[in-house]
Amino acid sequence: MANNKLMTTVAPHLHEKGQTIERAMRDVLLALTPAVVIAIVVYGMNVVYIIAVSMITAGLSEVVMRRLLRRKVTLGDLSAMVTGLIFAFLLPPTTPLWVVAIGAFLAVGVAKELFGGLGKNVFNPALLARVALMISPLALYTTKFVEPFYWRSVGFFTPVATSIDNSVVGRVVYKGLAGNNVDAVTSATPLSLLKSGRLLVDTVAGATPVGATWVTDAGRPSFWSTFLGFKSGCIGEVCILALLIGAAYLLYRRTIDWRIPAGIIGAFLAVMLVTWNHPIYQLFGGGLFLGAFFMATDWVTSPMTRRGKWIYAVGIGVSIALIRLLGPLPEGVAIAILQWNVLTLLIDRYIAEPKFGEVKKPWFNRLPVFQKRKSAEGET
Amino acid sequence: MGWVRNLQRELFTKGGVHPPSNKIAATMKIFPGPYPETVVIPLSQHIGAPCEPLVEIHDRVLIGQKIGDSEAYVSAPVHSSVSGEVTGIIEYHHPTGVEVLSVQILSDGMNEVHPSVEPLGDPMEMTPQEIRKHIRRGGIVGLGGATFPTHVKLAPPEDKQIELVIINGAECEPYLTGDHRMMVERGEDIIEGARVIQRAVGAERIVVAIERNKPDAISVMKEIGDEYGFEVAVLPARYPMGAEKTLIKGITGREVPSGGLPMDVGVLVDNVGTAAAIYDLFYEGMPLVDRVLTVAGDGVAGHANLRIKVGTLVRDVIDFCGGLVGEPGKVILGGPMMGLAQYSTSVPVIKGTSGIVVLRGETVWKREPGHFVCIRCVLCVRRCPMNLMPYLIGSYSDAGMWEELETLNINDCVECGCCAYKCPTKNPLVQLIKVGKEGMARQQKKMEELTEALDKE
Repeated sequence: MANNKLMTTVAPHLHEKGQTIERAMRDVLLALTPAVVIAIVVYGMNVVYIIAVSMITAGLSEVVMRRLLRRKVTLGDLSAMVTGLIFAFLLPPTTPLWVVAIGAFLAVGVAKELFGGLGKNVFNPALLARVALMISPLALYTTKFVEPFYWRSVGFFTPVATSIDNSVVGRVVYKGLAGNNVDAVTSATPLSLLKSGRLLVDTVAGATPVGATWVTDAGRPSFWSTFLGFKSGCIGEVCILALLIGAAYLLYRRTIDWRIPAGIIGAFLAVMLVTWNHPIYQLFGGGLFLGAFFMATDWVTSPMTRRGKWIYAVGIGVSIALIRLLGPLPEGVAIAILQWNVLTLLIDRYIAEPKFGEVKKPWFNRLPVFQKRKSAEGET
Repeated sequence: MGWVRNLQRELFTKGGVHPPSNKIAATMKIFPGPYPETVVIPLSQHIGAPCEPLVEIHDRVLIGQKIGDSEAYVSAPVHSSVSGEVTGIIEYHHPTGVEVLSVQILSDGMNEVHPSVEPLGDPMEMTPQEIRKHIRRGGIVGLGGATFPTHVKLAPPEDKQIELVIINGAECEPYLTGDHRMMVERGEDIIEGARVIQRAVGAERIVVAIERNKPDAISVMKEIGDEYGFEVAVLPARYPMGAEKTLIKGITGREVPSGGLPMDVGVLVDNVGTAAAIYDLFYEGMPLVDRVLTVAGDGVAGHANLRIKVGTLVRDVIDFCGGLVGEPGKVILGGPMMGLAQYSTSVPVIKGTSGIVVLRGETVWKREPGHFVCIRCVLCVRRCPMNLMPYLIGSYSDAGMWEELETLNINDCVECGCCAYKCPTKNPLVQLIKVGKEGMARQQKKMEELTEALDKE
């Protein structure tokens, strides 16, 4: 009774229900939702326009590129949507929408699909696109930040975009959809204030830095305003609390590995404490939390083994600290993560899981000093 | 013996998954299986050399009569499970998918037992050599599924001292409940069998390993344990807790070295079914002619634990349980995680068949064919109980890079399937690993031949 309908495959014959890429990507989208809500509150509907353009362009780029490269279109796995959303998170809330579209195409079309598609990209697509914009002639559009709650003078739903006007000092103006100038004020981010020396951590500055309404009378950013989001910055890095809520959800669902954020933040904090920098503003002022929980933990571009993850995470933490303290460029988090994305392949090649059945020796036994002593003992 | 962990607390090892256990048959008593009209007994049911047939067509054979044996050391004889007439010595389907020389016997329904079947006497007064001789004659192999001849396992080299015998009742595969029921119903027999094993290898202690999800078996075995003086290790309910190396690590904290055997860490692991078969052999004289297996799955009408005669055809067993329900998808011999999917239901049950799981077409895991896609989610690395990197092995194997596979310790893989169970892109990782092992062996052979040829020049 040969039954032709019986299937024969190699074991296992079971697969965990719901264990799919879509599940993980949905988790990430869900985890980023609180940060989106807070960003809308702080920066108005402009945030929604940017996110929408970014996600739609990301999806379209995926479809077009996969068609061109004759691959199966896999829009359903939502990975392009996640890339689009994270890319939007890295932009100032007044980025012109055409710049957003270019960036989202760079992220999905170039950094992901041209490298071979899902799982084959070397760099985190969103970060690569962000840094590409930063070092391109479009940099001006993506490095100017408006003050929080600027929409009170402009209108909540009014689209606002950074524009260049040579007749104005500083060249940056904000324009509405109709091309009319809009009454929004450029403001410095906590980190750019720290870097430019206009905000000294332990001294009271004479005058309040220009436009930084979230700075307390004492001339420092208040802890709560940096933590809860009443500050200037990128869309995604506004509210640390919202990011932490999302991160807790991802950790609970085991979508991300706790070792990477722990290593990054721990190493970063250690360097900041050793060099005697004020850790609070450094921690909450920039994109450290967004990077540590949502970008460095990207499955594709982080190492596979536990030990490899620790090396990668501590490396990123130290790199961020060095770039912030010594480097001239902004986006230290993005550059540090990209730098270690490249090293991921190397880490995976040389840092393996400990072999099962190998006698484990304490690590210090492998130091030359101990080995010499042991051989001496063996002789006597 | 200080190195055996305190067995009262839960034991822990790395990796593993929690597939839905579906042990519906756990409360069902072991029932004598169908009385088959025809049995087909393959002459190779074990790891090692296949047997030569000892009977001819039209011979009359009786239950327990030896019908196949081999001169080789690593081999086990095969006995008839019914009384009747040999109707053919033919190449026939085997659960592993190949065709194997088998003896076809038409039962006469008389159930006549061969005169050689009588109790062998008290094994506690036999020497280890005698015990091993009897076990070989009884055709006993590991009944957990690997079917390694037990008499070989019980003869460790002189320099390896076995300190601990672990009787494996973990039964971590979903659906399967045969070992569980065996412990509940035949606990004392299992321990008598275990004591024979203990005597054969001179071990000091016996530990019975049971997963936490079998509380009735644990309480039965603990009760007997107080009487006989052995311990029960309660293991967490996790697949693959019952895999030999995982089990040893969980109970003793020792890791079996790569390429080594449990005896390298002073341990011997045997399945509860094997221990019960040894009891039957010594105290009743019956060689291994039947085994307990579980029939389960949503594609079969009734779940049951059955005592099935070796050689019974799978379709007879399924019919005995009420037949198929719905569109059959897969018929699996063994558990759904490591069992062998069959292309036909006319394969015979062999000594290593621990279950017949029938899954419906719609519940079977289907995968669209395609190339290896890895999104490096780390689940396979995290879940691998053997600390391997399945995603790397899979991608190298997919690319045919055989040399690289050796550095990844591919031969340590026990093919438990945890990686493929978890993989979000549904890569057939176990299949790729099997292909990789094969490819690597071929490559190594080729290299050896090449070196030899160059040496000759």
